[in-house]
Amino acid sequence: MANPSKELKVRYQQDLMIWRTPLLRAGLLTLLFLYVLSPIIWESFIVTKFLDDIGLTMTTLNYAGVFAVGAIGLNLLTGYTGQVSLGHSVFVGAGAYFTAYAGSTWELPFIVWLPGSLLVGFLIGFIVGPLALRLRGNYLVVVTLGLVFLGDHIFRNWKSVTGGSTGVSVTGASLKVGPIDFRNFEVFGHEFEKSQSFFWLIWGFVGLTALLVKNIVRTRPGRALQAVRDRDIAAEIIGVDLLHYKTMAFAISSSIAALAGALFGVLQSFISPIDFGLLVAIQYIAIIILGGMGTIHGSIIGALVVGSLPRLVENISRDYDLPGVSGDQGGIGGMLSISSLNHIIYGMLIAAFLLLEPRGIAGIWIRIKTYFKTWPFSY
Amino acid sequence: MDQLLQGIFDGVALGARYSLIVLGFVVIYRATGIINFAQGGFLLIGAFLTYNFSQTWGWNFYLSLLLSMIATAIIAILIQLLLLHRSLKEISGGVFCLISWSVFFYNGNSHLTSLILGIFVGASVYFLVKKFENRFGVSQSNELPIFGSIIVTIGILFVIKQVVPSIWGFAEKNMGDPWGFKIVKVGDLVFTHAKLWTIALTAIALSGFFLVNRFTKIGIAMRAAHFDHEAAFAQGISLKVVFATAFGIAGAVAALAGTATGVGIAQLTPNMDLIVFLAFPAMILGGFDSPGGAVIGGIIVGIIQNLTKVYQPEWDLDWLGVGFDRVMVFIVMLIILMIRPYGLFGTKEVHRV
Repeated sequence: MANPSKELKVRYQQDLMIWRTPLLRAGLLTLLFLYVLSPIIWESFIVTKFLDDIGLTMTTLNYAGVFAVGAIGLNLLTGYTGQVSLGHSVFVGAGAYFTAYAGSTWELPFIVWLPGSLLVGFLIGFIVGPLALRLRGNYLVVVTLGLVFLGDHIFRNWKSVTGGSTGVSVTGASLKVGPIDFRNFEVFGHEFEKSQSFFWLIWGFVGLTALLVKNIVRTRPGRALQAVRDRDIAAEIIGVDLLHYKTMAFAISSSIAALAGALFGVLQSFISPIDFGLLVAIQYIAIIILGGMGTIHGSIIGALVVGSLPRLVENISRDYDLPGVSGDQGGIGGMLSISSLNHIIYGMLIAAFLLLEPRGIAGIWIRIKTYFKTWPFSY
Repeated sequence: MDQLLQGIFDGVALGARYSLIVLGFVVIYRATGIINFAQGGFLLIGAFLTYNFSQTWGWNFYLSLLLSMIATAIIAILIQLLLLHRSLKEISGGVFCLISWSVFFYNGNSHLTSLILGIFVGASVYFLVKKFENRFGVSQSNELPIFGSIIVTIGILFVIKQVVPSIWGFAEKNMGDPWGFKIVKVGDLVFTHAKLWTIALTAIALSGFFLVNRFTKIGIAMRAAHFDHEAAFAQGISLKVVFATAFGIAGAVAALAGTATGVGIAQLTPNMDLIVFLAFPAMILGGFDSPGGAVIGGIIVGIIQNLTKVYQPEWDLDWLGVGFDRVMVFIVMLIILMIRPYGLFGTKEVHRV
């Protein structure tokens, strides 16, 4: 008798496993390897050097990592719980401003302000969450959109904390964990650059967040959240406490967003309200759509794409003379500027992806996998 | 008292614009079930077209306004037909045609050559995609989920927002309206001509819409489609025509709203589409699917916003910051939504389990 298919799960524990097959376990090892080695070899190894040359530098990767953290949080809320939020940038901003204030005014150490910013995000999500109980669908979209304007107004006018429209510096926030300082990271007397040490810091948090959210969604609360997404009234009937789960989804998602904001603050070292506007909120939605709703690896891939796309476009249009695209300043004589081109490609990418592949990049992967699994049959 | 009346009048003039914008949203929502974020893009196109007709080409202002309404309606219908309705091969064919046309044109070819080459490239892409789409199973996905369509409209907004300033530039412009600073005085109240005309044009457009919606065949078809897509389809109503009409109406009112927003000295900027986001509370207040609610919601929001602006310094509320009037509208929206989750006049959705 032949062995049973590898897909067949006979025990609940098998269903829960994250790294189920040997191939996936090898993938985990490769990822860990890349995480440790990438910053060191990035500018010397031939493949990564090519990536570096076309604009995918360490700094770009760091920004993509910040996006990934926030997008994983948003995916918990939108992809798994089905509550569309256009106001994610407010939660991100709250975390960033808390970091700026706690770091420079209160001079708190790293291990205090980081949980602090998580707590701030949690509380804001806890207040906003119950709104989702009364509103659904499009009404919730518009209300969360209103949050962006409310947040922007507060960021611009609470000058003692946020510095108003000009913004505030985040360089006061310390990044010391015990003997390690991520601002000038040192191992065996070798000092690393800022972008290198930030890679370890930020992508470490990406891994932690991914693990946390994965653990939420593969266990009981996660199944409850997905039941809420599929049909919230039916979920309530089978005993899912809507108030609890919707509020918690908002709170956890926004506390992860605040973490992303804190990392964004220390990475960019200066923040202003323009960093947390409507554009950023749409960017986060775009990430999870491009990557794939309801998948965690999808949010990370989406963040890499959205985070690196502007740099790639910038580099390509600088090196090769693109038709109809002028230099830095646009709007003259029917010419597009590079930043306009960026926005156009961005908008078209979102539209095209949804039209062609509504399940995002993760969906393409699933399609390829099914194609090979069922080969030579087409279905 | 005069201050209050003046504030209310200015608020109504502001609210008239909101009503027009929201009417566009509501018409599209009733027909297709999506929120069309690209409405801000239509508004920009309409305003700049009016500017182009009346200032650059020197035509009569009212004629330019009418022409720009028609042109924007056509653009809106084209966008709907190309991007929100059709299947993959048509979209990719059209997009590649446009891209290759612009590439050839900006590389120095003449209009005719680049157009022919563009059509050639578009057609080849069309047939290529047609050949391959069944093999990869992409052709099934031409029915987008509602949320997906909303995000597609955001993508369209991004594109329009960049294309408009690349044609007309980023600088602030004067619309060249015939009203200028003329005013009518009644007692101590000051009515500017521009505001009176905004209200009048809005009233004409709105009553035109309501007459069409109530008495013509297409209006009845639109109401039937709002009630139930499939039932309307079974009765022989063409949903394609209904969707296209909805986008056409939305485009036309957006052009009017854009022109009304852009009149005055240096009011016409590429960032004007932000007013659309301020119109969202008006839509919520009225309820998503009620045209009458759109008008009332718009006017209420306009009055609230303007009165907040007038009374904020008077009641020592300056610590709330500049631009609090815009936030106030969202706060009122939140309060009303907590009491009535479907707006003042919206239909309550029935949820089956």
